[in-house]
Amino acid sequence: MSHEFDPSLLQKTLAAALERGGVYADVFVEHRISQSIRLQDSKMHEASVGVTSGAGVRVVEGDRQGYAYTDDLSEAALLDAACVASLIARNGARVDAADLRVVKVEPRYRVDERASDHGLGDLSAYVAFLQRVDATGRSYDKRIDTVNGAMIGEVQHVQIATSEGKLVSDTRPMIVLSAQIVARGQVRGFASYADGGRTSLGFYEKKTPESIAIEAARIAVMNAEAREAPAGEMPVVVGAGSGGVLLHEAVGHGLEGDFNREGTSLYSGRVGERVASELVTIFDDGDIDGERGSLSVDDEGTPGQHKILIERGVLRGYMLDSLNGRLMGGSSTGSGRRQNFRFLPIPRMCNTYMPPGDSTLDEIIGSVERGVYAKSFAGGQVDISRGDFVFMISEGYLIEHGKITAPIRGATLIGNGPAIMEKVVAVGSDARLANGQYTCGKNGQMVPVGVGMPTVKISSLTVGGSALQ
Amino acid sequence: MSNDAALEIAERGLRSALAAGASQAEATCTIARRFSVRARDVEIDKLEQSTGRGLSLRVFVGEKGKLRRAALATTDLTGDGIELIAKRVVEAAHHVGPDPFAGLPDVGGSLDAGDLQIEADDVASRSNDEKIQDALTLEREARAFDEHIDNSNGSYVADSQVTLGFANSSGARASYRSTNASLVSSPVGRDGDAKRTASYGTAARSWAGCELPAKVARRASSRIMAMFGAAPIPTQSLPVIFERDVASAVLSDIFAAVNAANVAIQNSYLADKVGEKVGSDLVTIVDDGRLQRGMGTSPFDSEGVPTRRTVVFAGGVLKTHLFDTYYARKLGAKSTGNAAGGGIGPNNFYLEPGSIGLEELIAQTKRGLLVLSIIGFATECATGTYSRGVSGVLIENGELAKAVDGVTIASNFLTGILPGIDAVASDLRFDSGITAPSFRVAEMTISGE
Repeated sequence: MSHEFDPSLLQKTLAAALERGGVYADVFVEHRISQSIRLQDSKMHEASVGVTSGAGVRVVEGDRQGYAYTDDLSEAALLDAACVASLIARNGARVDAADLRVVKVEPRYRVDERASDHGLGDLSAYVAFLQRVDATGRSYDKRIDTVNGAMIGEVQHVQIATSEGKLVSDTRPMIVLSAQIVARGQVRGFASYADGGRTSLGFYEKKTPESIAIEAARIAVMNAEAREAPAGEMPVVVGAGSGGVLLHEAVGHGLEGDFNREGTSLYSGRVGERVASELVTIFDDGDIDGERGSLSVDDEGTPGQHKILIERGVLRGYMLDSLNGRLMGGSSTGSGRRQNFRFLPIPRMCNTYMPPGDSTLDEIIGSVERGVYAKSFAGGQVDISRGDFVFMISEGYLIEHGKITAPIRGATLIGNGPAIMEKVVAVGSDARLANGQYTCGKNGQMVPVGVGMPTVKISSLTVGGSALQ
Repeated sequence: MSNDAALEIAERGLRSALAAGASQAEATCTIARRFSVRARDVEIDKLEQSTGRGLSLRVFVGEKGKLRRAALATTDLTGDGIELIAKRVVEAAHHVGPDPFAGLPDVGGSLDAGDLQIEADDVASRSNDEKIQDALTLEREARAFDEHIDNSNGSYVADSQVTLGFANSSGARASYRSTNASLVSSPVGRDGDAKRTASYGTAARSWAGCELPAKVARRASSRIMAMFGAAPIPTQSLPVIFERDVASAVLSDIFAAVNAANVAIQNSYLADKVGEKVGSDLVTIVDDGRLQRGMGTSPFDSEGVPTRRTVVFAGGVLKTHLFDTYYARKLGAKSTGNAAGGGIGPNNFYLEPGSIGLEELIAQTKRGLLVLSIIGFATECATGTYSRGVSGVLIENGELAKAVDGVTIASNFLTGILPGIDAVASDLRFDSGITAPSFRVAEMTISGE
């Protein structure tokens, strides 16, 4: 598969983009193919194929950006897009686009060389995985009522040309296998579980379709017997792995460069200040092989990086795209991402996680007289100005007298970012990245991300169940 | 841009699918011209304008009664892009199991847009300069509202003109045009050391149908000022009033539970409740695809079934789930014209308004929580378990008494929310496909301090 664009056409487009002025321009060319198949009622229910193909041209002048995209990749259409994007500029031509030179990047994806289409694989392999999900899910427990699943694969090829002379290509695979299971007990119990990453189908030799089905079935059966979650403030033990959603919401979004340059985040202007307990260190990392949030280069052509956001409670830095890097007197941290060619890039997280501490899970659970063990999460949301965030339990339990007791139904946990980060009182030694299933939404753009965390104890957090004590 | 271009691409997609071996096929092409501008303070800092095209195909292979199906969405419409990918999607369909319910809709009907009034001339005629001025007005008015409003997440002005062409192998051919216009203000205010943000927007099929920029900006800023000094309240049980915009978010959860795709896999608390009274007398919910000027209005759904008006709840009784052709066949019903993008979606799905204003509803509430903003999104559709982070204002003796944030509200749709709706206001507006007037639920659990 080759979708490499003629560099001379990109050069011409950049020149046209800077004709009225501007300090910087770039062209983002994308060709993405995806395929999927869905399982329902023990049958392959529907297949789908998707192609996202087009280019976007951006012109930057100061903090102002003009943007236009086209799905028609002809010279005339690209030059038209450059002309529309240039309408933002008003200072007259000043900068010439530098001659493009190819910059090679180190791939951060785990692709099996034997796989066809850069790891996309054949749909018959997807069918085989889903049949295994179905058989395992159905036989897990007699309470299992329905088993559904989906296998999705895509390969996104991008080419980025900048007026600073950089020409970068990247070919990004992504696969995910999911199971959605309903069990019948006292109530209907639903669970969804998925795993995958920027890798190829060999991933499911280690992480088997059976293990994915079992995880969904186990949680569905547990949820079918779950009681109402409690209401009120109490200690909360956040589970290793998907507990990283907490970091993503409570801290991550508030450290994205656009909000901080614009002064709308509660973390604006606070680099060097203490914003969390000394037990808290948080990284954002685009540079982990094969993870869902990893990038060899971001959507502006900057290599993915390992960034320290918070070190032992002290705020170290923000996640920056090229625009906010330039305006804030720094440089891009490889955090400029976009959903596809129809969107301007904005600062985003990649894989956000906390390194291990030294407590064990048993010690942490044992230290709680009455509270909640929030083992896994469906997602979260944050108000970055106020800092209030929520995250939603998909598997949770009561802790009574230092022991895990009854399962509880889904509930929202609410807290304020800095306040909760100050209440981190124990960090487990069991740090790990969550299963690759999370997608982050910002300004209407969805991008895949990774999260990770060890087991963490928060001394007090508001649990939004309906059961009054 | 004429309807012909979209219809021609759809017909080419259809021909390609049939040539590749599909026994039935359907093609939809949309061509959308979009404009968007963002202002911050006294400047425009983002300006975007483009025309995007997309083709979607649904193909069926094999014999009727045993069809296998696959879907395609592509933006690659140049060269032989369509023909190549049509072959690939037909190949993909062979991996799917034969399904007695798969296939195109059986019956046609008029696909004419008639008098739906979903296209407005003022979207094409309004100049970029006028829209830029509106964005700057939003910023200026939001900040002029109060000295504490000193920043913003930007003010957006956007519009689009969309042409849709549709063709299927049963001989249906149709096209229509629609327009959208919207204004959104998202100021940020300084409440002591804390920053507070809020957002208010307006959207309509025409610029004339949108609220004026100054009003939009003032409403956004007044929402921020209403939250000054907010703090959590103790955990307790209280009546909850959902203000109009957050009430719409509650309706979205109800839509998910009447979506036949969720019903079919038992992932709905309303799966086996048709004919039962599950809500209070005030719960009358309608899905209307033919509402004039509605944001969810269209002459036909994504598989060419003419849209209609469907009463989903009447006086608290669940009358029907909402179907596309596939799930209607599977569950023994008729399509309600809700096929959307390969799944099932709302047309104009709304709660029927009552007769009192929000102010009166507040005055009639001795003690309660007026919810102005919601964060979080996970409702357990299988059980109806509902839990959200919220902020708003505590009502005491019928008056707004104290701003509240950092709390959650929780209940269950079947046992608490639907039967507990005991007052509905008159302030419904049709600014999106799912809408609701403000309403009150008799009792919910507030989790706070």
